[in-house]
Amino acid sequence: MSDRRGRRVRDGLALSHALPDRSLVAMVAAMSLLAALTWAGAFGAWSLSARWAHGAANLVTIQVPDPDRPASLPSDDATAQVPVKENQTDHQRSRIDAVMDVLRAQSALSEIHRLDARELDQILRPWLGTSGVAALPLPGVIELHLAPGASLTDGLSSRLAGLAPGTLVERNDDWRSRLQMVARSLLACAALAIVLVGGIGVAVIGMATRLGLGARRESIAILHGLGAADGYVASRFGRRVAWLSLAGGIAGTLLAVPPIAIVVRFMAPLSGPQAVTMPEQGYSTVLPEAFAAFTDGSVPGDLMLGFVCVPLCAMLAALLTAQIIVRIWLRRLP
Amino acid sequence: MRGGRGETPSALTSISFTVPQGAFRWLLGPSGAGKSSLLRLLHLETLPASGEFELLGVDIRPAVRRSVLARLRQRIGMVHQDFRLMPTLSVADNVALPLRLQRRPEADVSTEVDAILNWVGLAARKDARPAELSGGEQQRTAIARAVVARPDLVIADEPTNALEESQASRVIAMLREISAMGTTVIVATHNDALVRRFPAPALRLEHGRLVTNE
Repeated sequence: MSDRRGRRVRDGLALSHALPDRSLVAMVAAMSLLAALTWAGAFGAWSLSARWAHGAANLVTIQVPDPDRPASLPSDDATAQVPVKENQTDHQRSRIDAVMDVLRAQSALSEIHRLDARELDQILRPWLGTSGVAALPLPGVIELHLAPGASLTDGLSSRLAGLAPGTLVERNDDWRSRLQMVARSLLACAALAIVLVGGIGVAVIGMATRLGLGARRESIAILHGLGAADGYVASRFGRRVAWLSLAGGIAGTLLAVPPIAIVVRFMAPLSGPQAVTMPEQGYSTVLPEAFAAFTDGSVPGDLMLGFVCVPLCAMLAALLTAQIIVRIWLRRLP
Repeated sequence: MRGGRGETPSALTSISFTVPQGAFRWLLGPSGAGKSSLLRLLHLETLPASGEFELLGVDIRPAVRRSVLARLRQRIGMVHQDFRLMPTLSVADNVALPLRLQRRPEADVSTEVDAILNWVGLAARKDARPAELSGGEQQRTAIARAVVARPDLVIADEPTNALEESQASRVIAMLREISAMGTTVIVATHNDALVRRFPAPALRLEHGRLVTNE
């Protein structure tokens, strides 16, 4: 007998011929692909919402349309509170400067920053490209950071609108809670999807195991008669199904990597400081760059851990499912 | 071994008998008398619906643990009239099954299998598949598998049914030899000529009842 045969378990079960190997691997691969994509989607939604929510904390954004036009004449009340530079009259001041002066007088603010042209360009480049920014009449954008526990005074919006009509004050805290709610909803949907995928996977594994049991009914009866314990037969099926499921899980997870890599590439502007434009030379140039994210450590560790867990979970679920089904099936034998 | 009391399989009623260790017993009776039911009970292929019996010192009840039954089956060798060999395994691997289920070291398995195949005259066919063997060779393989782990009890259910007379005599002679080595052997048959050729005490069943224990 050859060495290769010698390493095999020679008990007549011949599970490599009894179980639908290819079908099982393919089905588990499909389930693992769905699970990996779902996990990546859930992780992405959670990361983006967390980043946005963190960035939105205590942040107020003010947009001033036509920032370089002269400011409107303020009301008496406003004039009393707006400091005017010595060499500048109300008539000479631009709208953005008038707004900045009003904001500097606010004690609740810890930081005031007007975005310059380069920063605006960087923000808009993913959507407008390199040539579209200069052609548009862009508003002046001011970022305000509130001091901890502070809030803007009542009437600030109307006062700014009086100086620069159309000025928009966005309190980002307002939609921070909405983002978190959206993120929680997405996570719940993802969890439900993963549970469904897992359930279908377990059902597929169960059906494959039952097929194998049916195909080896006589061999199992012979082994049972020779004194094979339930645990022996169950572990033989369990190990085989677990290895097949591990192979399917690895294959499915690897298949999920290219689409996830591309999505990660395109989501980069929304989740990080780098600005990335849509590919101009097709997806062939994007894919290698996207894969590089998996090797240069820019893909979050938790996301990678999830990918590693997918095939391991598939293997564990297969092992348990096969063991349980075989043990139940063996109950028909005394 | 003491036989069953109470309601065992429906084919059997109120059976009580004892077979001493190392004895050879014929199990006789017409078709439908309950021979196969009794053998299935002794091989633990069925359990008594109620009542109890003692087998190899173990009380067998309906609620006995499955692990206990599995260990007990390893002490029993069974020879079926249809051989029940694993078609995908060689003769040697078929014979080695009981030893491998007991997790014996592979070196011991090889030694034991070679010895037993020499005894049944199949050493030259050890790599053959069951489909390549004659009926007599398959039955000798089944006997080798039944005795290779040196069980306390060997049960044979019509082991000579599919064999020519010379092969049948050879099989029974082997079973008598096993008995002479200290293993209890019970052989069910309806071949009266064979019983006359190998005289031994018999258990005779009729309509599920034990009518003779001699």
